[in-house]
Amino acid sequence: MTQNFTSLPQELQLATSAHVKYIQSLDSRKDEYDYWLTEHLRLNGLYWGLTALHLLGHPEALPRAETIDFVLSCQHENGGFGAAPGHDAHMLSTVSAVQILAMVDAFDDLETRGRGKAQVGKYIASLQNPQTGTFAGDEWGEEDTRFLYGAFNALSLLGLLHLVDVDKAVAHIAACANFDGGYGVSPGAESHSGQIFTCVAALAIAGRKELIDVDRLGRWLSERQIAGGGLNGRPEKKEDVCYSWWVLSSLEMIGKTHWIDKEKLTNFILSSQDTEKGGISDRPGDMVDVWHTCFGIAGLSLLDCPGLEPVDEVYCMPKSTIKRVLGH
Amino acid sequence: MPPKSKAATKPKATETTTTTNPTTITSQTASQPSEPTTVLERSQQRYEKTRPFEAARRQQGLSKLSKEDQKGWICDQLLHLTNRLPAASRSRLLGPKASKEIWWTINGTNSIVRGLKHKPEPHITWGTDRNGHDVGSYTIERFDERFRKRIALTALQVSSRVFRENVEREKRGFVDARSGREIIVTEREIDEEKVRRSKMAALKKELYGEITGKLAGSVEWEDVVPIPHEEPEGALAAIAYPAEYAEAMSYLRAVMTTKEYSPRCLRLTEHIISMNPAHYTVWLYRAANIFALGLSIPDEIEWLNEVALANLKNYQIWHHRHLLVEHYYPTISSDPDALAQFAKQERDFLIAILSEDTKNYHVWSYRSWLVGKLGMWEDEEELKSIEQLIDEDVRNNSAWSHRFFIVFSNPKYATPGKGATEKDERVPQELVDREVKYAQNKVYLAPQNQSPWNYMRGVLVKGRQHLASVQGFVEEFVVKLGEGEEEEDVKSTHALDLLAEIYAEKWDSDKADLCLRRLAEKWDRIRGGYWEWRRKCLTQTEKEKAVAVGEAEKGGEEVAAA
Repeated sequence: MTQNFTSLPQELQLATSAHVKYIQSLDSRKDEYDYWLTEHLRLNGLYWGLTALHLLGHPEALPRAETIDFVLSCQHENGGFGAAPGHDAHMLSTVSAVQILAMVDAFDDLETRGRGKAQVGKYIASLQNPQTGTFAGDEWGEEDTRFLYGAFNALSLLGLLHLVDVDKAVAHIAACANFDGGYGVSPGAESHSGQIFTCVAALAIAGRKELIDVDRLGRWLSERQIAGGGLNGRPEKKEDVCYSWWVLSSLEMIGKTHWIDKEKLTNFILSSQDTEKGGISDRPGDMVDVWHTCFGIAGLSLLDCPGLEPVDEVYCMPKSTIKRVLGH
Repeated sequence: MPPKSKAATKPKATETTTTTNPTTITSQTASQPSEPTTVLERSQQRYEKTRPFEAARRQQGLSKLSKEDQKGWICDQLLHLTNRLPAASRSRLLGPKASKEIWWTINGTNSIVRGLKHKPEPHITWGTDRNGHDVGSYTIERFDERFRKRIALTALQVSSRVFRENVEREKRGFVDARSGREIIVTEREIDEEKVRRSKMAALKKELYGEITGKLAGSVEWEDVVPIPHEEPEGALAAIAYPAEYAEAMSYLRAVMTTKEYSPRCLRLTEHIISMNPAHYTVWLYRAANIFALGLSIPDEIEWLNEVALANLKNYQIWHHRHLLVEHYYPTISSDPDALAQFAKQERDFLIAILSEDTKNYHVWSYRSWLVGKLGMWEDEEELKSIEQLIDEDVRNNSAWSHRFFIVFSNPKYATPGKGATEKDERVPQELVDREVKYAQNKVYLAPQNQSPWNYMRGVLVKGRQHLASVQGFVEEFVVKLGEGEEEEDVKSTHALDLLAEIYAEKWDSDKADLCLRRLAEKWDRIRGGYWEWRRKCLTQTEKEKAVAVGEAEKGGEEVAAA
């Protein structure tokens, strides 16, 4: 179905320059309480902001050299990255680091000035549980399919997926499949859109999508759309812009995006923008943040909103980056 | 020492007040200053008094002064300029005649030899106080009070230094020279120092606006050198902290570097958690402290409960709990009573926190882990608790999901390792029937609620039952399908969806297509794409059916022919 974006009212158009300015202003808000309270997310935040900028067509809006310097300053001896300088290494920040370096094409810097790709791969591989195949977040052992997906994402970008036992990990994902067609954080846990994305994307990277019951999963995902057009994360919960990404990309990966009403979803995301000060919030009227900005824009890109670069549904990064790094 | 003047100066000196020409201005008739109100004024007046010719010159100009006064001023200047030279050098510099002349004039005019060198300036001489006001603008009383406070602070600092030195000496095992005994710092001395420190902090704040960090000023943390946050030059995502958090973090870095595990570190983690419960490193370090110190896990869990209730969206708390239980479990695993009691305590808390946030994903995933860990499968209370939650809110999908888990993953009758989506021959039929009935009863309460429909379907798959076995139930929610807008009534789109599946299962494509068409056209338009795809699948199925029937007929002919 075609969507005539130019005929939309002002507030339902994509406020590109406002969003760019918003993201640029993020690292200058040093006097805001929230800023230092989220230090443990700093590197992840940089990934969200940078992805949004790339998709908005403004990759230069954050200075490349400083970005690389900051990322490398978070790296530890063991190859892993912490969320900010001085923070312990963790899977999530390591994945964000690899994604950022891929987007700004700085793997060479990782070799010459950082600890090198091999060391990063070694760190990630060390977090796999040899019995169950799943991955921990750090040496403390919290396990979550998010870490599994993160590991596959980063290792495949580095060309080092062979360092881990892919089959065992895949078996673990299969064990997380639920009676309603969805996937949970661990076997037996409730189906959740975010966890579904991680499981499906991990299977996609491993080339094992045939394990997915596409019909049941697709149906469960299509039921996430509620009357207002937005998507929720679980039955009977509120719609939220970040699920526009988790659910939509999952549908894209199984080829069923036409099972939801795309126009209504587009309207929902666009209505959640702050067109003056920039940024996107979880639903219309709420406070914006960089997390929802990133996933809102990624969702709009998947919905073919004009003015956006195409996003890769598996990696949540620009398609152009994935093409450059992986060659397809 | 100035050479003694030959001239007896006394009479001239004493009547000096109105020397020479009454019309010239001397220091005395220079405008009489009023009583000083501020210390600055007082000092300035003093300064002026010691430099009388200077004051006059400033007021009038050098040329207007009398010859006497002019000479006086010049001598005054020369004297002050060479003030710090020894007398002999001064003589050499100025020449013996000039030196003599100078002293003769000075003695005659009763000038003061040692005048104040610097003129007091606002803001500079005493600086500014904590509010940015010039201390020179203080009244004399206020200034005296400030002076007294500074003395008090200095006295306290002296005593504090003595204390610190004793602490150091005790650490090194020094022996007191007089008594011959080892130096010990007593409890009383520590308490006195604590009092002293708080007084010092208060005075510093009052006088200079300096805020002494809670930790930096505490006796307990005396020996730790905090590691401040280091930002690389021109950091892209530079951080500025509020002071108390910054201080606490700098101490945390220090003790984490030295891998210290102690009660004060535990308190420090609690302090930081109270300011930023999402900082996951501090949680991990807290766990390390608990384990290293061998502290009671149940006590820690009690503390954690309060924090969890105050921070419902935080998931580090639940991973912390997970670590605690993993650590605690071996100590109670062989004692069934202890195990049961712990399970009950945990469940009681889970019920309490879920009443605040019924669908909290972290709590529910912890709960399902706990059931497996403690083996709570047969625990009636667990099932009852879930039923109660569903009674309170039939739409709570988390509760439905948990029910499926505890019923169909129970190792008593479920095949271990079987996935949730796989049929399981071991599961008894009574159980399947019971669960189907349960789901159906809940559907009546809210037919459009998705959870029991998904549940029922999942149970049928698990129990390897045909969907058609519930056709009668499903049809209750679909009235006069396809018989016109006025007549047709669909109480649940999920019922219509399932009905389509049932018809398809029975090869009745026309009826199945009708269901799907009505869903796409009216009852669930937003998922139109999905319903259309299902209709297409029916045509596929039709083709397959035709092929299958054709094959069967062919086979029959062959048999007949044979």
